[in-house]
Amino acid sequence: MQPLRIAVAQIAPRLGLVDENLERHHALLAEARASGAGLVVFPELGLTGYLLQDLAGEVAMRADDRRLVELAAAAGDASAVVSFVEESTDHRLFISAALLEEGAVRHVHRKVYLPTYGLFDERRFYAAGDALRAVPSRLGVGMGLAICEDVWHLSVPALLALDGAQVIVNVSASPGRDLASTHETGLGTATSWRQILRTYAQLTTSFVVFCNRVGVDETISFWGGSEVIAPDGEALLSAPLYDEGLFTVDVELGDIRRERIALPLLRDERPELTQREVDRIVRERAGLAPDTTAEPDAGDAA
Amino acid sequence: MSGAGSPGDGADGTAAPFPIPDELRIDTAVARRVIGAFIRGQLAQAGFDRAVLGLSGGIDSALVAYLAAEAIGADRLLCVLMPYRTSSPASVADADDVVRRLGCARDLVEITGMVDAYFGEDGRAGAAGPEGSSASQLRRGNLMARMRMAVLYDRSVTWGGLVVGTGNKTEALIGYTTLFGDSACAFAPIGDLYKSQVRQLAAEMGVPDPILRKAPSADLWPGQTDESEAGFSYPELDRLLHAMIDRRRTREELVAAGFAADLVARVERMVATSEFKRQMPPVAKLGPRTAGVDYLYPRRRPGSARP
Repeated sequence: MQPLRIAVAQIAPRLGLVDENLERHHALLAEARASGAGLVVFPELGLTGYLLQDLAGEVAMRADDRRLVELAAAAGDASAVVSFVEESTDHRLFISAALLEEGAVRHVHRKVYLPTYGLFDERRFYAAGDALRAVPSRLGVGMGLAICEDVWHLSVPALLALDGAQVIVNVSASPGRDLASTHETGLGTATSWRQILRTYAQLTTSFVVFCNRVGVDETISFWGGSEVIAPDGEALLSAPLYDEGLFTVDVELGDIRRERIALPLLRDERPELTQREVDRIVRERAGLAPDTTAEPDAGDAA
Repeated sequence: MSGAGSPGDGADGTAAPFPIPDELRIDTAVARRVIGAFIRGQLAQAGFDRAVLGLSGGIDSALVAYLAAEAIGADRLLCVLMPYRTSSPASVADADDVVRRLGCARDLVEITGMVDAYFGEDGRAGAAGPEGSSASQLRRGNLMARMRMAVLYDRSVTWGGLVVGTGNKTEALIGYTTLFGDSACAFAPIGDLYKSQVRQLAAEMGVPDPILRKAPSADLWPGQTDESEAGFSYPELDRLLHAMIDRRRTREELVAAGFAADLVARVERMVATSEFKRQMPPVAKLGPRTAGVDYLYPRRRPGSARP
């Protein structure tokens, strides 16, 4: 099998300036294609910038927007993942990522977990997506898309892998914070992300492609540090912190098969057990069944 | 863990002349990187490529001058020295040492005339009237800070640069700032660094030793120092604020960790009573859409940059 060249566009999108960001996407797509890339990944809200607040409605586009189709055409025989503010027909706004292949928008993932705590305020401005789907890709393997906070929930990589994803792509706009000198990378955020993504790659025995933006929006600085991680948890590409650039790495998709036969975690996964227990927990949390883990008196009050 | 922390490391590898609590140590390379990009980003997004700041001779403004010079080049930085007649002569000398080392532009604006015109001098009443001559040090200090703000915003026009804030996190949290005075700025590069972290970074960047060594002071009268006035040391205060604010420790946990109960109570009070200094003034909500409430745009929205 030919190695797959993955290009990660670690860019600094301009806030609210869609035309400029589109131009940058086209330029980098061309550069990536010229270098032989088969998969090109751009960061979360790469087409719009992150800290939009009330600008979100002004830069939103439909999933069938001509500009996305033009990007798909520009991707040629490569697969590309781009991210934008999506407006649905009923005028909800989503943070979305699109898989572009063969001149078309093949799949759109709407961010399912919107952080609204600490420095984040996403739920105020956006609707949460309701679906997680792995989709077949022209690369010959299933692909699963996730956006930033999505992968701070264990269920997301787990479900994508169960659904057939062999390459999990996470696009991010992660603000860097905590400079305590004890962190391995000098940045707490980067250290946590590296730890969880490597764990996911290993536990899902899948490739994980992480594209995080750089640059500054208002008070926050995005830290980059994009990675491509093999199904055994080894990072094959670790882009530098804070540097803008197009970073590429060659991967062997055959590693997925090797790893999954040697370490058949997914084979042994028991979705029916998970489902049964989740069903029970949902019923208990809704008060439809006695809570088996509640404190002794909790039931009496009800 | 010792309360005093370990000695800081200077740029030359020697121990710095002040303690840096271990839990406050930062990766200075990352900090320089982030702050540099922040300064460039703030200027670019506003359509500026120059900056101006008030250089007092103290460590905070010296560090910001070093950071700004590194971020945009010393030729785009104007440092304004604004002594009052009671300011220590050493302050001007130390500030000039920074200017000389960086090679940035420098302006000297004595604020004595401005302040004395208000409070009066030598028995002559100023604009404030006869009682102005007996104004408290607090009032005089506040007016000095606001006169310096006025000078900086005027120089912002003549120099064509944004005013860079020089305040740190410690003083912002305890309210040791003058509203619309030293806290007024276009952006604050070290506003999220505690004093101890300012010292660590300043030593790393080569801020001159006399500035690193001198006791922090508002320099309102000879011999004044922050620590003697407030009754605690910066390393101790920084450790407490870090545990209280960043690590979200309760009063009980802080006392259990060894902080004196009366100090904890006092600092909690200072933080609470200065809350208003860290926020924009509230606007009475009347209309359908109100700035800061439900009209929310990034300040650097498209079209916001100076053409």
